[in-house]
Amino acid sequence: MTLSLCLYLASALFCLGVFGILSRPQAIAVLLSVELMANAANICFVAFSHFRGGDTGQVFAIFSIAVTVAEVAVGLAIVILLYRRHRDTRLVLVSEARE
Amino acid sequence: MSSPTTLALVALFAPVAAAILLAALPMVRRRGAPAAVLCVLGSVVSFGSALALLRDRLENETPALLTASWLPSASQSMAEVGVRADAVSASMLVVVTLVALAVQIFSLGYMHDEEPPAFGRYFTYHALFLFSMNVLVVAPNLLQLFAGWELVGVTSYLLIGFYFKKPSAARAAVKAFWVTKFADMGLLFGLLVLFSATGSFGWDAHLEPAVATAVTLLLFLAVVGKSAQFPLHVWLPDAMEGPTPVSALLHAATMVAAGVFLIVRANPLFEQSETTRTVMLALGSCTALFAACLALVQTDIKKVLAYSTCSQLGYMVAALGAGSLMGGFFHLTTHAFFKALLFLCAGSVIHAVHSNEIGDMGGLAKKMPLTATCFIAGALALAGIPGLSGFFSKDLVLEAVEGKLHGVPWVLLLLTAFLTAFYMGRVVFVAFFGKPSNDKAAHAHEPGWSMRAPLVVLMLLSVGGGAMTSTFARMQHEPYHFHMGLGPSLAAALGLGGFGLAYSVYGRAKPEATPGAIAWIERLAERRLVNRFYEWGFHKVTLAVADSLAWIDRYVVDGLINILGYETLEAGRRMRAVQTGLVPDYVLAVVIGVIGVAAWGFAR
Repeated sequence: MTLSLCLYLASALFCLGVFGILSRPQAIAVLLSVELMANAANICFVAFSHFRGGDTGQVFAIFSIAVTVAEVAVGLAIVILLYRRHRDTRLVLVSEARE
Repeated sequence: MSSPTTLALVALFAPVAAAILLAALPMVRRRGAPAAVLCVLGSVVSFGSALALLRDRLENETPALLTASWLPSASQSMAEVGVRADAVSASMLVVVTLVALAVQIFSLGYMHDEEPPAFGRYFTYHALFLFSMNVLVVAPNLLQLFAGWELVGVTSYLLIGFYFKKPSAARAAVKAFWVTKFADMGLLFGLLVLFSATGSFGWDAHLEPAVATAVTLLLFLAVVGKSAQFPLHVWLPDAMEGPTPVSALLHAATMVAAGVFLIVRANPLFEQSETTRTVMLALGSCTALFAACLALVQTDIKKVLAYSTCSQLGYMVAALGAGSLMGGFFHLTTHAFFKALLFLCAGSVIHAVHSNEIGDMGGLAKKMPLTATCFIAGALALAGIPGLSGFFSKDLVLEAVEGKLHGVPWVLLLLTAFLTAFYMGRVVFVAFFGKPSNDKAAHAHEPGWSMRAPLVVLMLLSVGGGAMTSTFARMQHEPYHFHMGLGPSLAAALGLGGFGLAYSVYGRAKPEATPGAIAWIERLAERRLVNRFYEWGFHKVTLAVADSLAWIDRYVVDGLINILGYETLEAGRRMRAVQTGLVPDYVLAVVIGVIGVAAWGFAR
């Protein structure tokens, strides 16, 4: 186990997340992809903390997880509203942000 | 004995005190009669102190100055404001206040039929006007003179346009204002040039020859406007729309004389430029003849007097152009008296027959003996009949121009003297002799005492004014010995000849048509060539320039602004296409942005 291996893993996860956001039509899938990217960042925190010493990174990872939970709560609320409005959760149907 | 400057200050501020009181107390002004009393009182005080001042100045020759600094800038004042009491300003003050007082007293009777508020307004304007004129007369430098000059312009606008409900009067007031205002640009620019050359507004500066010519020519432009010299004389005949006493005040003794007074005052400057003096001499003598020709064919008694005023002002300008301060200034004084007298007599006649046309008069000598006597005395004085005041002053003018410019001005002025006698004779014989031409003329009668008294006073001055000649000469430090040489005899003969000719043409019977010899002038006068020239200039030149400027404004300036606005809108509309409102698109943009930033970071 080396730092670079961990960083490769984090990068892979991050790219998966990006790919997911760009390719998935469903709002829930996009949310999941965002979670993937957030977790890629968390892996980086922990990995650096572990290999470079000090606990700051780990503490930050816990903070990050808490923030992500809140974010998911908001995101899911939006998805529910979208569903109520359009009876569908595909993002391509939504263009209200234009006006 | 109070000091001369105090007297001058009293003369200056008595009328304005009356005017301010009247302006501040509308209930007094609207009552009419009390306003008139207040105004006349102000003028009486002003005249009294002016007279005392003149007596003082006759004994004491050093000019008395009382000034306060004005326009302080960088710890030194650019100009002074105050009074200068010397022979010139004192005698001018007396002339101005005397004529103003006579006119105001005359107006008591003449304007009696006006509504009380209008009556009060009339006298308020009069008080203001007298103040403005006095500001000009006592000015210690050209800047204060300019201020008085402009005040005179404004108050004359008010007085000429007194019957402002009459469209022609309102137009005449505007015309007088604009024409003189145009000429006043000359005074303004002259002052600027003078100030930049010498750093002061005094008239006793020594200038480079070129600068002196520029300054004096610019000042002379203002004189041409104010003193109604050709070609800016057009406002004066139109200004006869004002009440007749106003014409007597403005167009005899004060406003038009201000121009001549300016030359007298700024004589040390004019002395330095031979070019300007030649221009003055030429223009003055041409105006004298030109206006006299036009006066021959006027049927309105006031217009005859108006053109006659232009003509006599031409005499003064010519005299000053010939370098005779004394001739110009003395003719100004005598002219102020007899022309004011003539205008007031005309007012008295108009008051009686309710018409300005000399054709509507006739036989008035029997009905109005005093008015007729005064008018005839004024006419004889104006024509330069020996013994009367006009003879002495005209003689001085002729003596001054004799031999200048190969004698051409001299001949022109002699010819003018003849024409002057002729047109005055025409008015006298048509209006005062023969048979009354209608009922009103047949039942005309003398006006009340308030209108008769000023006539008598002015008549005595017009007749006896010649006695002041030597006093005047002493004040101007010019030698004066009257001798009946060629010029005076010729002028007197021409004057008598003019009257004789007028008698033979108009005396026995009124001719049906204008005599053939002067009919061509009538035809020319009807075509109003000078006025038409200005109208043409306005339509063709001013409007064309304005139109082209408007085109540039509309299509070039506005066009640029419109293009800018249109392009901004268009750019905004194109940018809107980017905002699809679709979340994936925004995300894509964010990702591309992040990659871009990352790539930029690596590239560094």
